[in-house]
Parts: sequence; C-alpha cells; structure tokens
Amino acid sequence: MSISAATKAATDALAANRAPVSVNAQEVHRWLQSFTWDFEKNRTKYPTKYKMANETKEQFKLIAKEYARMESVKDERQFGSLQDVLTRVDAGNRVHPKWNETMKVVSNFLEVGEYNAIAATGMLWDSASAPEQKNGYLAQVLDEIRHTNQCGYVNYYFTKHGQDPAGHNDARRTRTIGPLWKGMKRVFSDGFISGDAVECSINLQLVGEACFTNPLIVAVTEWAAANGDEITPTVFLSIETDELRHMANGYQTVVSIANDEAASKYLNTDLNNAFWTQQKYFTPVLGMAFEYGSHFKVEPWVKTWNRWVYEDWGGIWIGRLGKYGVESPRSLRDAKKDAYWAHHDLFLIAYALWPTGFFRLTLPTAQEAEWFEANYPGWYDHYGKIYDEWRARGCEDPASGFLPLQWFMENNHQIYIDRVSQVPFCPTLSKGASTLRVHEWNGKKHSFSDEWGERQWLTEPERYECQNIWEQYEGRELSEVIAELHGVRSDGKTLIAQPHTNKDGKLWTLDDLKRIDCVFKDPLKAL
Amino acid sequence: MSIQIQQGKRGLTDPDTARVILDAIPAEALDSQRKMNYFVKPRGRRLSEYEVLTVYAQPTPDWIPGGLDWGDWTQKFHGGRPSWGNETTELHSTDWHKHRDPAKRWHAPYVKDKAEEWRYTDRFLLAYSEEGQVRSIDPFWRDEILNLYLGAYIFNEYGLFNAHSAPSRDTLGDTLRFSIAMIGFDKVDNAQMFQMERVFLSKLAPGFPESTDAPKAEWTKGSIFKGAREAVQDIWQATYDWNESIWSAHIVYDALFGQFVRREFFLRVASHFGDTLTPFFINQTQLYFSQTKGITSDIFFEEGLANDAEFGDYNRRILRAWTDKWLPRTTRALQDFLGIYAKLPVIAGVTDKVSVEQALNRVFDDWKIDFADKVSYKFDKAAIIKTVLQGMK
Ligand SMILES: [Fe+2]
Ligand SMILES: [Fe+2]
Repeated sequence: MSISAATKAATDALAANRAPVSVNAQEVHRWLQSFTWDFEKNRTKYPTKYKMANETKEQFKLIAKEYARMESVKDERQFGSLQDVLTRVDAGNRVHPKWNETMKVVSNFLEVGEYNAIAATGMLWDSASAPEQKNGYLAQVLDEIRHTNQCGYVNYYFTKHGQDPAGHNDARRTRTIGPLWKGMKRVFSDGFISGDAVECSINLQLVGEACFTNPLIVAVTEWAAANGDEITPTVFLSIETDELRHMANGYQTVVSIANDEAASKYLNTDLNNAFWTQQKYFTPVLGMAFEYGSHFKVEPWVKTWNRWVYEDWGGIWIGRLGKYGVESPRSLRDAKKDAYWAHHDLFLIAYALWPTGFFRLTLPTAQEAEWFEANYPGWYDHYGKIYDEWRARGCEDPASGFLPLQWFMENNHQIYIDRVSQVPFCPTLSKGASTLRVHEWNGKKHSFSDEWGERQWLTEPERYECQNIWEQYEGRELSEVIAELHGVRSDGKTLIAQPHTNKDGKLWTLDDLKRIDCVFKDPLKAL
Repeated sequence: MSIQIQQGKRGLTDPDTARVILDAIPAEALDSQRKMNYFVKPRGRRLSEYEVLTVYAQPTPDWIPGGLDWGDWTQKFHGGRPSWGNETTELHSTDWHKHRDPAKRWHAPYVKDKAEEWRYTDRFLLAYSEEGQVRSIDPFWRDEILNLYLGAYIFNEYGLFNAHSAPSRDTLGDTLRFSIAMIGFDKVDNAQMFQMERVFLSKLAPGFPESTDAPKAEWTKGSIFKGAREAVQDIWQATYDWNESIWSAHIVYDALFGQFVRREFFLRVASHFGDTLTPFFINQTQLYFSQTKGITSDIFFEEGLANDAEFGDYNRRILRAWTDKWLPRTTRALQDFLGIYAKLPVIAGVTDKVSVEQALNRVFDDWKIDFADKVSYKFDKAAIIKTVLQGMK
C-alpha cells in the first residue's frame, strides 16, 4: 500500500505545526441536515393537515454531547445552591405558610405540563422531516425531562425541609381528587399531545410556552421571593433558560408550514382555539394562585396579564409572525375581560370545595380584603361579603360543622363544570363572563361556560367526553371519597386539605367531615 | 406592615418581611412524613432519588395498569383516539410504572455523565492530534473503509435514533418514557460522534473528506449496507407498536448487527491498520450499548414484561414472534455486510473466514445468553451463521 497524498500532507502539516486540534459542536452540527435520506415509507406516524418543509433549520445548533454539557453546568449551579447555602439557612422552611401551600399545586401542576411536553415534542420529533427541525424538538424532549425532574425536586425539597410536607409529599396521588385537576390535564396534558401534531405544537409552544411561561414561570418567582421562597426562583429561573429554545421551536414550526396552503386556511383557527383553551384555565388559576395563595402581593394579576399576555404576546410575539399570516386570536378580547374577575370567581368555588384539595387554603384577611378592593373596585360587595358570612359561620373551625359548599346548596347556587375546559363555574355568582349553556349528546348532558369552548365541542364532541368530578362522585359522601383517594395525613385521620393556615387553628379530620354528611350531586341531572 | 411588597424586597432577607413570615410559621412541622412519594414501591431496599423524581410523574388513569388517576382523557385526537391507550402495544403489563433504569438516571445524572464524556473526548482529541498519532493510520483503511463504511454507518445510527420518537410519545409509563428518550438520544449521539471523527480526520489529514455525500451514497445505493438499510427503515417507519420498535431496534437488530459491525469489525480490524482513533469512538458507543442493555433488559426481562406476574407467558410468546420477524432481516443485514471483507486483504486471525466465523459466534453466543434465552427463544446458530457467511465472497 502506498502512502497516499493525504498522509504525506498530514505528516507535513504536523512537521510545520504541532498545535493540538479538536472539533467543536458547530463543526459537527453543520452536517446534521444531511443525516436523513429518502425512502418510500418515510413519513410521520402522527399526521397533520399541514406540511412541514423539508429544509427547516433550527436556531440552537446543538449536538447531543454539547447539550449535555450546557445543561449539566446549569444543574451544578442550581443543585449547588439548593443543597448548600439554602439548606443551611433553612430556606425551605422560612416561607410564608400560604405560599408553602401554593407551591404544592404550582410545582406539581407545572410538572404535569413538563411531563406531557416530553411526549408532545416526541411527537413533533416524529412529525418533522428536516433533521435540524427534529434536532430542535429532540433537545426539547430532553429539556422537558429536565423540567419534570426539577418541578418534582421543588416538592421533594419542601417535603424534606418545609413546614408542612403533606401534599408536597404525595401530590402525584392526591392531585386527582379536586376540581382543578381535570382542567389542568386539558391544558397541560392532553392539549399538548392529542391532536394534529402542528395543532399540538401551537398549543404547547406558541401559546403554552411563548404566552404563559412568562406569567407562569417568571412571575411565580417574584411572588415566591416576596413570600420568603428562594427555592422556587432557584429552580424555575433555571427552567426558564431552556424555554427560549422552546419558543424558537414554536416559531420554527410556523415558519416550516408558512408556505403550505393549509396554513392560510387553518392556522389562525387552530391558534385561536389553542389560545382560548390555555387562557381559559391559566387566567383564573394563576391569578388565584398568586393573589389568594400569598401573603405579600407583587402586583395585581390583571396588570401582569395585560403586560405579558395582551401586549407582549398578543402584540409583539404574534406581530413577529404576522409576515407568515398569523393574526392575534379573535378571542383575545374576551380573554382580557376574564383576566379581571375570573380568578376571583374561581377562588370562591375552590374555597367552597377545600376538602378536596391537597393543600391548605386561606380566606382573605381584612388587610387582603382592602388590597383586593383597592385593585378590583367592587370586590368586597360581591366576594368579600360572602367570605365574611362564611367566617362568621365558623368555616375554619372543625367544630362548626359548616362547609361553604353547603352555603352554595342552601342558596341554590349551582356549580357546573365546563365540559371542554373542565373549569368549574357558578352562573349565578360569576362576576366574570361565564354563562350556562347545556347540550345533550350521546345520551348525556354537557354544560359549557363560554362560546369559544362551546364551539370547539360542537365541531368535535368526540374529543371532549371526559366525565367531571360531579359525575364521578355522584351520590357519594365527601369524607368517603377523600379517604378512598388518600387525602389524609400520615396520622391516618387528619385531612391534608384545610380551610386555613393559622398556626394555632385546629385541623379538620375525616370524622369532622363525615359528621356533616355532604353528598355529591350532579347539577346537570336536575336540569 | 403593608402586604404590598416594595419592589425587589425579598421575604428571606428583608428584615420586616421576614419577621411577618417567621411569625406565621408553625413551631413544628404539621406532618412527619418527609419522604416524597412514600407510596411508591422501591426497586431496591430504599426509594432512590431517581424513583422519587420520576415514578408517577405521568398522570395515568387506572384503566391503564399501574395508573393512579381516574376517568377519561380530557382531550383526544380527532375522531376520539385516546391520548395514551392500552391498544398502542400488543404487550400487556400489570403495571406500566414498574420499569427502572438500573443506573438510576434521571435528567441530571444522565447529562452529567455525557458532559464528562464530551469533555474527555475534547481532551483526547487534543492530545491525539498533538502527538501525531494520525500518522499511523493506514491510508487505505482511512480513505476507503473509514470514509465510506464508517461514514455510512452514521445513517444506521441516525435511523435507529429516529425509531425512538414515536415510542417516546406513545409509551405508557414515566420511567419508560425517560429511558426510551435517553437510549434514543445516545443513538443520535453515536451518529454525531462518528461524523465528528470524520471532521477531525479532515483537519489532520488534508484531503480526507468531511462531507457526508460519499458515505450517504454508499448507505442508500451500495450493497454492503443494503440489508441494514432495509431493516433500519422498517424499524423506524414501518413499526407502530412502541414495544416492538424497542425490541426490534435494540434486542434483535442492534444486539446482533450493531454489535458485529462495531465491536467485531471496526474495533478489531482498526487496530490492525494502525487506527487508534476509531476504537476511541467505538468504545463510547459500546458504553452506551451496555447502558442501553441495562434498560432494555429491565423493560423486557428481569422484573419486566417477559416475567410479568399475570401476562409473562403471553408476552414471551409475542416477543418470540417479533424475534421471528426481525431475526431474518438482521441476518440479511449481516450477510450483506460481510461483503466488506472482499475489500480487505486476507489477514490471518483478523479478516480470514475462520476469524469472521469466530466473531459471529461471539456475537450470537452473547445474544443467546443476554436476550434469546430470557424468552426461551430457540434458534439454530450454526445455520444462521452459515447463511451469514455466504455474504463473504
Ligand atoms: Fe419545560
Ligand atoms: Fe418547555
């Protein structure tokens, strides 16, 4: 075998320059787009009505090992802080009790979103044909595994170091009891993974991530810090560093379908549905978590919402996509109305159903009532008075034998559940826009609270058949349901959920509930 | 004090705010259960951090075995297909949350390991280039064999990587989803590392092409990888059952074809041609192969599907049927690949027929112990090897 010209060149090169040489990630990445090849069956297992372009590029240009390096650097910082100084200063315990409870829900529910985003981006990795586009989604698959673990870690940390481990320690089991869970699954679970792949991308990346991660992940860190919690900012801000990549993925999804004819027909409808779906849950639930789940207030939710959802997302972000024919969702204006009262409406119901939670709730104090009235004029006359009445009847005290849910029944205020969003609403008490609509289909009655959701259901009722908690628990006594679904603390009798966070207040037990003999009724049956 | 927080004040450090907070905290914790997910059945003696952070992250309803949730899905595919459903696989389990990665890797340990491998790769290449080891590679081996055939093998790994997208979407458990995404990620990593070797060689040996054009032509049109390409295409895009995807890719195809190509061909023969570089990269892929084997063995064997208390016998039957389907395609891939020896000189003890036969025996013997025996799969090793050897011209 003769020495080839290349070997001679290598030897010569070495004689002239012995500098060490390596290869960086970009030098490998630039070949990635050529890794695929055409073959007959090469098509996705998750059909979409859109066609994603074969040449779509990605912005982050990572290879597997470089991805791992970047993430592990972030992990070192984050886990270093948590395990070292924050533990020594007892930071897991020195959190306002109301906020300790809020993080039981926020971290666990966000975990569900992160978890389902793994499957969602797995589907997009399958749907895209361009290797670079696949690669962008792939990095997100791994990121979402990271975020699932990180959210779990927040609950894990508060379980170990916090003032009330119950709920943090078993959220993955007890979250299924209460009225907020199924709605959570709609927006953060099934909405990301079940449907046309591009529709799912719009739900996850274009709306969930580009619109709601700012209020969800960033604003939550401000409320957390105000209430003494440095655990959540340490973890959530580290999560947020990955989200830019995900928003870019959403952007690339739109770019990849922009030239497809289907985009001009369907894209804005899909976007509108996705936006309404996401906002229908997040607008009230986040507002409620912040304002009713904290002691120290950062700013009224309506302001946060207007800044991030209406102006930043509806204006700037969607504006950037204008050149691809994307328009601001038609439902944005109705959503803006929801951002004022919807979370107040929801807290009324959530508090009435407090025994079904995996957290403790607190009635607004006098100081908070003042803050609510100042920021939402008219609050006291509608909500504040009701809370005063409940408090006067002893709703916090296990000896009182009074549940606010009974007050709803006594006054004939029915709580319905919107079939599409699974968000509960009370038409006779809503200060927000919710109104009752009922349809019959497949031998079953279905209630709805707004036109946008009703429209989605009328087009495709077979996608939204999930039974709600009333249908599930119909005829059963409250304490029995809670015992069966493990809603009790480690002593086997005290409830995880409580109607107060007063350190000197008495804790309710299963027996206290049983004495009240509250039986679930499905209001749709009476119609 | 006012409950409206002043800009930038933090409850942990601002004295007035901190006082209010400390005042509200109970003197003693309200519950004594400080173990998160205490209701998860640990695989070992104690619940590991991996189990705490992973198990039941998935909100599975109880009609998918092992789930803790109740009821239907809140949004389904167009037409009503469920988000996740038992019908996405032929296999049955009494608990889809039972799988555990024996290496207990959640995201942080997984990326930490890979980051270390990356840093070490970089340092290795710097040292390798500085002392001029590249001079010892036989140019024929480098320009013909590595360029075309190791280059074409990139597509093998890339195709198998893509066979993990649908299983990452469809699998029915959380520990499963993590494991499947990770072993898929390792496959694209392999493809990228082999391309990295090409880029590196092109820097050290001016004239060596870093372009993927020639290797891709070899993969798509050449005869050496014809059987491989057909098998990979079907594993990737013609297999809809997510368990079958994992079984065909890892348990049958990669454990036989992949192991032969990497360990018995490139790793063994490279040293003979003075190539000390390729073994470095191959050994990374072998590390991933071994970690993947830990995962897939747990999914299918050990306490996994083949030994499920209720469905073990049934599952073993399906797994044998899948093996019947994929073994002939793998055999064909091996047979075609053996055509590569015609391009090499006959070197006693390395590339002669006896050595190749021994190599095949090693691979099939490993396969029998590690995989086939675990589902009582019977095969005629001698006959298969005889068929494969027909590919040696
Ligand atoms: Fe995420
Ligand atoms: Fe994300």
